[in-house]
Amino acid sequence: MTHKPDLAKEFQRGLLATLPLAPGVIAFGLLYGMVARGVGFSPLEALAMSAIVHGGSAQFIALDMWHAAGPGTIILTTWVVNLRHLLMGASIAPHLLGLSWRWKAFLALWMSDESYALAIAAYEQGQGNHGYFLGANVGVALTWWGSGWMGAMLGAAVPDPTRFGLDLVFPLAFMGLLSAFLHSRLHLAVALIAGWLALLGAQFLPGKWYVIIAGIAASGAGLLLEEGTRRWKRS
Amino acid sequence: MEEVLIFIGMAIVTYSSRVAMILLLGREMPALLKRWLRYVPVAVLAALVAPAALAPRGELEFGVQAWAAVVGAAVAWRTRNVLATILGGMVTYWLLKAFGF
Repeated sequence: MTHKPDLAKEFQRGLLATLPLAPGVIAFGLLYGMVARGVGFSPLEALAMSAIVHGGSAQFIALDMWHAAGPGTIILTTWVVNLRHLLMGASIAPHLLGLSWRWKAFLALWMSDESYALAIAAYEQGQGNHGYFLGANVGVALTWWGSGWMGAMLGAAVPDPTRFGLDLVFPLAFMGLLSAFLHSRLHLAVALIAGWLALLGAQFLPGKWYVIIAGIAASGAGLLLEEGTRRWKRS
Repeated sequence: MEEVLIFIGMAIVTYSSRVAMILLLGREMPALLKRWLRYVPVAVLAALVAPAALAPRGELEFGVQAWAAVVGAAVAWRTRNVLATILGGMVTYWLLKAFGF
């Protein structure tokens, strides 16, 4: 965007962009709340965990080990599971250069896989800005917090999201956003390498390591391929 | 009360990963780093998609879910639209399930 974006309007646009993902977020939020209840959390505690930690998969993993592991192990595991955000932060950082450190710190607070994907795809299409990014963050956050609280209130009455295939919403949404990046054969190659490495990694690596390994390796391969084709064209 | 302390610990380690690169990377990035970072989003998104679509329970599965993902990928490629991709994949999934697959 060359002109100054209207923040309120862009915020609204980002907020609305989260709507198609909402069924997926809500399905997992309800499940999270139910699991939290099962571990012995009150609805308020389930909500507090979402609002304070704000990390979907890390919350599930923490609940899974809540009674079996000490606080140190839980926090260390959370750290490792969320290390992938280093990679996401690094790739979105070039779009945030003009912002104050306050804005940067605020945008990082509720950055999720989903809101990152929405924001980075918007930036790629020349339609991204901090208002949109914040809107996406807040949209996903409110849906996640609210549905988690609801799930804890409902307890065992929550249906399994996989029963309606709602676990498919995330990969489908990410595919739609991924398509914004497939403007060259090189990018398509990077996507295929990353997908293949992630599939392989998900079988053998613990937690979310496959995102980090596949993300670094495939983007590195993209750089090498770019360098290679440039030299080949020159010779 | 102890729960909240653990939540705060989890929040600190999570936020540190989210904010670190956003604050650290400034205008004076090396050119090579900048070029590399242009490939990171496509790599990260693909890395998030593939296992969630084809190995949702950890093992490779070529069932209804995979077919819905294939249709979703085709719709994403043609339309470049998130909502259309979600609808295409989900409708495929529900139809296949309805016909007893």
